[in-house]
Amino acid sequence: MIKADALTKRYGGLTAIRGVSFEIAKSEVVGFLGPNGAGKTTTMRILTGYLPPSEGRAVVGGFDLAVEPNSAKRVTGYLPESPPLYPEMRVRDYVRYVATLHDVPRAERAEKVERALGSCGLDSVADRVIRTLSKGYRQRVGLAQAIVHEPAVLILDEPTSGLDPIQIVEIRELIRRLSAEEGRTVILSTHILAEVEAICQRVLLIAYGQLRVDARLDALREQGSLEQVFMREVEAAASRDARAAAEASAAAVAAIAEGQP
Amino acid sequence: MSHVLAIAGRELRSIFATPVAYVLIAVYMLFAGFVFFASLGMFLVQLEQIQALGMTNLLEQWNLQAIVVAQSFSTFAIFLAFVVPLLAMRAFAEERATGSIELLLTSPVTSTQIVLGKFLAIAALLALVTALTALYPLLLFAYGDPELWQTLAGLQTLLLYSLSLAALCCFISALTRSQIVAGLVGVAAALVLLLIPFAAESSQSETMKAVLRWLGTSTHYEAGLAGDVRSEDLAYFGLTILASLALARAAVDSLRWR
Repeated sequence: MIKADALTKRYGGLTAIRGVSFEIAKSEVVGFLGPNGAGKTTTMRILTGYLPPSEGRAVVGGFDLAVEPNSAKRVTGYLPESPPLYPEMRVRDYVRYVATLHDVPRAERAEKVERALGSCGLDSVADRVIRTLSKGYRQRVGLAQAIVHEPAVLILDEPTSGLDPIQIVEIRELIRRLSAEEGRTVILSTHILAEVEAICQRVLLIAYGQLRVDARLDALREQGSLEQVFMREVEAAASRDARAAAEASAAAVAAIAEGQP
Repeated sequence: MSHVLAIAGRELRSIFATPVAYVLIAVYMLFAGFVFFASLGMFLVQLEQIQALGMTNLLEQWNLQAIVVAQSFSTFAIFLAFVVPLLAMRAFAEERATGSIELLLTSPVTSTQIVLGKFLAIAALLALVTALTALYPLLLFAYGDPELWQTLAGLQTLLLYSLSLAALCCFISALTRSQIVAGLVGVAAALVLLLIPFAAESSQSETMKAVLRWLGTSTHYEAGLAGDVRSEDLAYFGLTILASLALARAAVDSLRWR
């Protein structure tokens, strides 16, 4: 359903991710882990067609994002790190607007909007102006806009951040239901390792722009707790990154030295 | 098309969700009304003087249309050089600042649809501004006898001029995250376009003079505001709108390639 093929993204001189490759099958729920600044958001932005990769190829729902971006976007639901809300709009109007942008046919629009509002527990605030909502509700409005067009692929950047424990449980339950009952493929990033253990079958760990772990959760458990794996891999990536930087500067020094007679 | 209308509808509602548009339009109407009635008062005083002096040959050209309507419309055009950029500055800059542009760029929507939607919203707003402006000459029809077609031609020219500024400011707005910067650069651009013909007068070469004169907006609205619709002016405003929207589209496309 999702295929990342040697994705590399450079911002000027900074390389955010380097050669990231993975494949995700239909109805899998994959947890995307990594320290802040590791490249999680960059990878997700490439998969949603918000950013083009500097190198490599991303395919979502069978559509190459470089060739048929709009077909890929039509089958993707995306919740960015900060939900892209219009504070002056009412919740229902906003979700309907997003449904229109995603080509939900007019005849089905009202029904799908209500279903998305219901799934995210927004019935009671559907007529409220988004500006007046608490952070938890705003996060749920962001989730509602991601699922309103019933996308085959859901890309969620920290979907439970800012929610209280009850809301977190509800959102996790919703994500589990979306994949188990409706067969949607989910990739979600999070800092909460327990969340991965609660809903994901598979883990991708990215650190210093490189994919360090791509394994099923049960296979990982044999190597210790998720926390141990996380710490170990991030440290290994850090030392490798430091070594690579040192080698690069050594090579640069050598090149300069060679240039001088 | 449904994308364009959805984007335009949302934009228009959000324009009216903040007081900015109301305040700008109210201030514009206040100044426009002041100018209009001041020029009407001046006209009446001068008319009396001309009659008292018995200069009947002057009375022929001393008409309501040329003195009051056309001249106040010229002043309105200068006001619009401030009002339109401030109305259009939010188009893209605001979405870029709040991050909601991420929704548009990850939706199956083309850059052309985004630009047309934004432009359509501001065009509807400017149609409203023009309709409100029409109230002033409309009052004259109740008491006097101005030329209907010339007044309509003047209003149409004001609208076309506003639309060309709006298209240009949409482009400027797509270049920055700051609404203030977009607004100020927009006003500056509008004023430069107004002032270019004055620079033409001091130019040495005839070609340069002609080019500068053609580039200036005032060159193209003066005749229209006085009631004379010329195809070259329509072409100028049409070209400005098309070129600006094409640039805006390129700017939105470039947001996808960062």
